[in-house]
Amino acid sequence: MTLSAAELSRYHRHIALPEIGRDGQERLKRAQVLVVGAGGLGSPAALYLAAAGVGTLGLVDCDRVELSNLQRQVLFDSAAVGQLKTEAARERLLALNPEITVVAHTLTLRAENVLETLRDYDVILDGTDRLTTRYVVNDACVLLRKPLVSAAIHRFEGHAMTYLPGRGPCYRCLFPAAEEGAVANCAQAGVLGVLPGVLGAIQATEAVKILTGIGEPIVGRLLTYDALELRFLELPVTRRADCAVCGEHPTITAPQEEEALCDSVVHSQVRRIDATALRDLLAAERARASLELIDVREPREFDTAHLPGARNIPLADLERRLRDLTRERTPVFICRSGRRSLVACTLAVLGGIAAPAHLEGGLLAWAAQVDAGFEVAAG
Amino acid sequence: MSCTVRIPSPLRSYTAGAVTVAADGATVAEVLASLERHYAGIRFRMVDEQSRIRPHIRLYVNMEEVKDLSRPVGSRDTVHVICALSGG
Repeated sequence: MTLSAAELSRYHRHIALPEIGRDGQERLKRAQVLVVGAGGLGSPAALYLAAAGVGTLGLVDCDRVELSNLQRQVLFDSAAVGQLKTEAARERLLALNPEITVVAHTLTLRAENVLETLRDYDVILDGTDRLTTRYVVNDACVLLRKPLVSAAIHRFEGHAMTYLPGRGPCYRCLFPAAEEGAVANCAQAGVLGVLPGVLGAIQATEAVKILTGIGEPIVGRLLTYDALELRFLELPVTRRADCAVCGEHPTITAPQEEEALCDSVVHSQVRRIDATALRDLLAAERARASLELIDVREPREFDTAHLPGARNIPLADLERRLRDLTRERTPVFICRSGRRSLVACTLAVLGGIAAPAHLEGGLLAWAAQVDAGFEVAAG
Repeated sequence: MSCTVRIPSPLRSYTAGAVTVAADGATVAEVLASLERHYAGIRFRMVDEQSRIRPHIRLYVNMEEVKDLSRPVGSRDTVHVICALSGG
């Protein structure tokens, strides 16, 4: 795959590096890289990989651009609010570099589609904001023997590590399991906007190194970054012989359903109530009296509209205020999409509340299935 | 004996935002107990009821991973607590 005159000019500063040269640039052009999550991490990673001339760039995301994304997701501008992220990103990346191909995968990676989605790519970058997706992607990379560059962020801290098949530990060796909820995400905890810029650029660096065969990737080393102290640390990570997916006797031989990957002890205690079931419970007086509706959204969202009788305890305050909850009634946690409320349930279980419930699908489901007039504030 | 503990971002709500704190103890178990005395609730976020390190937590003394909470800790050591992060 040869480079055109325009490409030779565009990539001149790469080609000028003896470590990359024309051969390395041609390798980049032949390469196919998948970026999972077009968010804070995926934005800088995809921009740099597009600029670097990676021939085919795939993007996985099922969300639309929200105004609150723009503080850190530099792939998007104000005009993109409301558009599918994959579509807006493709437009932006092709404007940056029309020589490349951008493939939009507008979906959530799950056990049933992950192998098929990843199969054609040479390197996978994981920048998703869902822990369960991290495990699905990791397991698929191990099973397909694909290099995986992982990164994750929280407030002012970030992690990055690279997995190379057969060479080092995988994400599951690093953290064998993680319960969604024990680990807060950015929507609840906040995040320094420039933080994913640092980590996403590291992911892109790793991808370029792997594709061109130069340097030493962060294999077997967890890189941690603390923006407040501007400190990088490297901690050794070894492959676990008992790793469920890359160990000597793997128990995961096909991608698992994400529910099975969550902390089953916690999740088995959570009662999921869909919108119509909640409507029926609220309509029955005795059932209503046994429930306490706790809306875990931010006060601004709560003020726009909330279910009658609901109390507002923003998720960030919940752990501290768990003791305020009466033990006589079942807490039903409510949020916009069902994600924060599931986290709230986990916190409640860890805090000793036996069987919390949450509104599955959140108020978006309530508006779709029960009350079309219910106004759900943007998250 | 006092060592330094680096607290991961998700657990800094317990330490009033402090990134590093001092703790006493000659072993990792004692250091965790010392943390618990000062920051109630933090230990349970790192180890479970059977005192096993939680699967989304890693502990290091300096650059060495802790597999056993009886691992000795010296006064010049730094205990790193690493917690899985989920943000993207």
